[in-house]
Amino acid sequence: MVHKSADQNLLGELRSFLGDRARDGEFELGLYSKDGSVLEGNPMIVCLPVNTEEVQQIVTVCRKHHRPFLARGSGTGLAGGAVPVGDPVVIATAKMNKILEVDLQNRIAWVEPGVLNLDLSRELSPLGFHFAPDPSSQQVCSIGGNVANNSGGPHCLAYGVTSAHVLAIEVVLPDGRIAVLGDLTAEPPGYDLRGIFVGSEGTMGVATKVAVRLTPNPPEIRTLLLDFADVRDGAATVSAIIAAGLIPAALEMMDQRAIEMVEAFVNAGYPTDADAVLLVEIDGLAGGVEHGIEVVRAVAARHHVGSVRVAADDAERDLLWKGRKNAFGAVARIKPDYYLHDTVVPRGKLVEVLEKVYRIADAHDLIAVNVFHAGDGNLHPILAYDSKEKGVLERVHAAGRAIVTASIEAGGVLSGEHGIGLEKRDYMGMLFSAHDMATQDLVREAFDPDGLANPLKVLPSGSRCSDSFGQHVPDGAWV
Amino acid sequence: MTKVKLDLPISTDDLSSCVACGLCLPHCPTYRVTQEEGSSPRGRIALMQRAHHEGAVDAEFIQFIDSCIQCRGCETACPAGVEFGSMMETTREALTAQTHYVPWWLRLGYRLLGSQGALAAASKVLAILQRLSLIPRRFSLPRIPLTQKPLRSSGSDVWLFTGCVMDAWMRDTHRAVQRVIESTGKAVAFPDKRAVCCGALHVHAGLGPDARRLAARTIEAFPGDNPILVDSAGCGAQLKEYGRLLGSESARKFSQRVFDVHEWLAQRVEDLPEVDLTPPRIAVQDPCHLRHAQRVHEAVYQVLGLYAETVPVDDDGLCCGAGGAYATLHSEMASDVRDRKVEAIERTNAQEVASANPGCLLHLRSAGIAVRHPLEIVDTLMRKGE
Amino acid sequence: MSQRDAMQQEVDQFAKDVGASDPVTVVGGRTHWQVGGLPEPEAREVRAPEGVWAHEPEEMTVRCGAGTTLGQLSEELARHGQMVPFDMDANATVGGVLAVGRSGFRRLRYGHVRDLVLQIRHIDHKGRIVSSGGPTVKNVSGYDLCRLLVGSLGKFGCIAEVTLRCLPIPETTQWFTGSLDPFELHKKLYRPSSILWNGLQVWVCLEGVASDVAAQAATFDFEEAPGPPPFPTVGRLSVEPRDLQRHVTSSKLACLAEVGVGIIHTNEVTHSRSIPEVNLSLMRELEERLDPNGRLNPGRQVLNR
Ligand SMILES: Cc1cc2nc3c(=O)[nH]c(=O)nc-3n(C[C@H](O)[C@H](O)[C@H](O)COP(=O)(O)OP(=O)(O)OC[C@H]3O[C@@H](n4cnc5c(N)ncnc54)[C@H](O)[C@@H]3O)c2cc1C
Ligand SMILES: Cc1cc2nc3c(=O)[nH]c(=O)nc-3n(C[C@H](O)[C@H](O)[C@H](O)COP(=O)(O)OP(=O)(O)OC[C@H]3O[C@@H](n4cnc5c(N)ncnc54)[C@H](O)[C@@H]3O)c2cc1C
Ligand code: SF4
Ligand code: SF4
Repeated sequence: MVHKSADQNLLGELRSFLGDRARDGEFELGLYSKDGSVLEGNPMIVCLPVNTEEVQQIVTVCRKHHRPFLARGSGTGLAGGAVPVGDPVVIATAKMNKILEVDLQNRIAWVEPGVLNLDLSRELSPLGFHFAPDPSSQQVCSIGGNVANNSGGPHCLAYGVTSAHVLAIEVVLPDGRIAVLGDLTAEPPGYDLRGIFVGSEGTMGVATKVAVRLTPNPPEIRTLLLDFADVRDGAATVSAIIAAGLIPAALEMMDQRAIEMVEAFVNAGYPTDADAVLLVEIDGLAGGVEHGIEVVRAVAARHHVGSVRVAADDAERDLLWKGRKNAFGAVARIKPDYYLHDTVVPRGKLVEVLEKVYRIADAHDLIAVNVFHAGDGNLHPILAYDSKEKGVLERVHAAGRAIVTASIEAGGVLSGEHGIGLEKRDYMGMLFSAHDMATQDLVREAFDPDGLANPLKVLPSGSRCSDSFGQHVPDGAWV
Repeated sequence: MTKVKLDLPISTDDLSSCVACGLCLPHCPTYRVTQEEGSSPRGRIALMQRAHHEGAVDAEFIQFIDSCIQCRGCETACPAGVEFGSMMETTREALTAQTHYVPWWLRLGYRLLGSQGALAAASKVLAILQRLSLIPRRFSLPRIPLTQKPLRSSGSDVWLFTGCVMDAWMRDTHRAVQRVIESTGKAVAFPDKRAVCCGALHVHAGLGPDARRLAARTIEAFPGDNPILVDSAGCGAQLKEYGRLLGSESARKFSQRVFDVHEWLAQRVEDLPEVDLTPPRIAVQDPCHLRHAQRVHEAVYQVLGLYAETVPVDDDGLCCGAGGAYATLHSEMASDVRDRKVEAIERTNAQEVASANPGCLLHLRSAGIAVRHPLEIVDTLMRKGE
Repeated sequence: MSQRDAMQQEVDQFAKDVGASDPVTVVGGRTHWQVGGLPEPEAREVRAPEGVWAHEPEEMTVRCGAGTTLGQLSEELARHGQMVPFDMDANATVGGVLAVGRSGFRRLRYGHVRDLVLQIRHIDHKGRIVSSGGPTVKNVSGYDLCRLLVGSLGKFGCIAEVTLRCLPIPETTQWFTGSLDPFELHKKLYRPSSILWNGLQVWVCLEGVASDVAAQAATFDFEEAPGPPPFPTVGRLSVEPRDLQRHVTSSKLACLAEVGVGIIHTNEVTHSRSIPEVNLSLMRELEERLDPNGRLNPGRQVLNR
């Protein structure tokens, strides 16, 4: 880690309006050098703004000094999106965490980007609403991060991912101007700038306010746990449920290893002898929910289900979900390190790709655990390892690459919800032609011609017209 | 940036057990009020990792480590099972031993807690100053009694640990607890003055040797095999830690005899007398040392629930900011943390609040909240309903 | 030749048709030909390929040529009990619907068509094929140009091939009509598909299993209706849902409002709203980069002059 010491003029200017909220202490900078991935970079200065005006001033000062900058939410991203490369100024939005307005007539809420996803839903709950995207990290990830990564979660199967739940975004553009992209109407005039900003991973500016849609809480919710003696039957059930015309609120799958680990940790009563379990949630009005349960039972019976457990009450439901939501951590209890992948394959190819994942892990002498959003074919193979083992990282990376390749060969995509960031930017070529990527870059460039906003992310360096901050990814990056 | 050398004796395994997922952040009181990475568990672990690696620390390191309340809210939230509490204790101890992290006047203060005579004398001075209105309110001290009637043992079925500050300032609580225990038909014994202080505050401050000395003395004060009940969540957590702290077989055996008094009562609810009263609505504040350290907070609901309608405070057991000496040493952060708690308590619309830890009790009381020990509430209701 | 190759050939042919120079305009079903103004007369008319190329019911996805009409698409999907809730003229084309970017009257429940688009292959101003999005129901790989193409009136490219997410056709679809405060009704109902209001009368569309539709309908005293009323077609306004009441009650000519959505179909002539200066400059930057010579659908304007 070579730390480039702060440009004193730049720091001085930032301090002139941020005071001690512009930091350059060596230890403290280290805290903003990583996110939830294994990648690491170096910030030059960390700023902790409290409002839009301060963000605007920071961006303007950065621009004046031709210094790149990078927005950071809660730092839970898994693709290195918030990892600072090119010695940027980090703009941490955590202190911008107010829910500004809840507008029930328009069914929206204006929030600052640092508001935590679950805090928002909790605040809305007494009013009968929630924010639908619910990443497994929802207790800590920020709305700004959700917008930037177009995050999803178990319940996005029925409700759609973040882009379907964001109406307008106030943005500080890379040139320091402030714009509100989209508005509270159904058909804002002009091109859909809001739509392209969502999922742009901080490369088109800093979101400083977001108008999110409020989703009414369903009157009925039922959660079912199905177990299968053969993972193939579990996967076939997933496809068959959808083909039967039912879209459950959530449809999650855990393989045998995951069940064992999770059960040891949460004691949710998962059947540890099963090869796979499905967690199915159905919500809505009473009749539809009953009907849904019947469909699931019938479909599962045709696919040799072991048992069907319907959660009797909220407590049991919470317990079943607790197992799912803590699965990643539970893996960390058996091996100190894990690498979490995120690809999507057509539902019909789940079994085929899962089997490949096991074979790939075996071939690289790693343990693969699978806990994933089966309903939309979103695989999350977890490779568990111990970084103290010699040469293990090379194996992890090789296996990761093989998994991504297998998913794409099966007609899948690079990422279902974690984004491209730094982790997968050099894989983009697997899915897109050089010309596809050049076109994407034209769009990015319209927002940020000088490439100051979160440089070196999303698109591989070759495809970008303006890579002025070096071609090299930092140590630890393996792409 | 000037750095000071620090040799941090935490194993790499422990340090790398954190996968930086951040799930602990919202459960950390200091992160909740600052939203700064350095004031978060994940950040503090990253600081330790770096200190371990570099063998040196800077001023920010000390400031962020020092601002941790050691509530261990992060530990219960962490799916990866990171043992934050012990890592933080080791870090504090290294700081105290190797730097000027704990100033002389503070070390003296902690010594005082270990001496019954000195504590009694100091308390008397405080009590007099209080009567003369010479102690500013913001120090949030309870009304300290001028004279204290001694506690009387009623037999020897169970021990009741008395502790330092609590015994000096809140002896009436012990009396109420004694009555509740006795209502189950068991007799209570009090230890002699060797059990003067559990040493929890010393551990928090990084005064490891002092803590171990106090622990050894305390163990001697409880001969035999009878259960040792504790009515202060903080002291209870510490007594349960003696096994690890001293690393001896006798200490481990001792720790196994220790129960939070609610934990013990919850095992024998059928022995508790019934009363005929409309149950009041009581908000239950889970002290961190009960919920996150001992993980037996449910017991309070079971026992108090026999006599009152218990309402949990809906903040996921976030710390109230008391943290032993923390509220005194970091009054600003502590009161910011408390503001959140007060809001959550107000949302419960309860008549009164129950808290099983003297530190929390005092800290909340100084914010104007009506709060008592759960068993003091039970004792009042039992006597009323007789 | 495999089916895949045949489709590729059609897309290639469309790319050739579009070519690399001279002005072009894509013709769909001509149902909304005048939106944004008419194309310049010298613009060459081209047609996107048509045909439902791959419907996979288990995946709930369908891939089709952009020139496929909604009628064709619905027919194909209905065979497997699925639909794409576009609610538009059966002669309109998928490409046209996306290029115009307006949503159907069941938006209240199903959201905007944009959110159903998974992948688009389009022909850029140089006649090259560009692919964006991905074929799976969930995807965050790269910048999602699809969302930018929706509502772009073809000015960023000519849509050749589209992959959409489909939905199951609900067991029951029933319209009701009566008079009640439509806003109160909206509060009371759980995910109605549509609530239309002309200032006096209300139409509600409920969908789902029959028992739920009946139970929800029992909470208000309406009679069944065969479908929505005719939509006034002269103008279209999009306002904040909370301002709907004010607009409807002050409207001089017939109008029909989508409650909870904020769209008003009216017989008054409406003008497109002005775009804030900063947004306008970003949009112009995009036009500049994606069609530097202005050869795509010249004459039509997404941005007000
Ligand atoms: C245990 C665990 C489980 C997870 N589960 C899921 C899951 O189920 N689904 C899912 O989708 N993701 C999941 N994630 C990934 C991650 O939580 C999400 O991507 C989340 O949205 C990131 O939010 P954040 O606030 O942490 O953003 P960060 O990691 O801080 O940043 C992510 C990206 O957003 C940008 N950004 C942040 N704020 C702004 C802003 N205000 N303006 C512009 N750009 C900004 C950053 O530059 C960066 O590129 C999981 C992560 C963990 C650790
Ligand atoms: C009675 C009626 C009701 C309607 N209700 C609704 C409604 O509720 N919601 C709604 O959204 N719309 C509604 N519409 C509008 C209409 O259905 C759509 O706008 C439709 O998209 C137009 O499609 P088209 O194929 O007829 O396109 P055309 O009218 O042929 O073309 C429209 C525009 O799109 C461009 N275009 C067409 N195909 C392509 C392509 N492949 N690539 C790029 N550009 C292309 C054309 O150049 C032109 O600028 C309604 C129309 C009618 C007649
Ligand atoms: S012990 Fe408490 S204050 Fe310290 S890091 Fe953990 S949660 Fe935060
Ligand atoms: S301490 Fe645990 S919860 Fe917190 S970041 Fe580390 S692994 Fe995650």
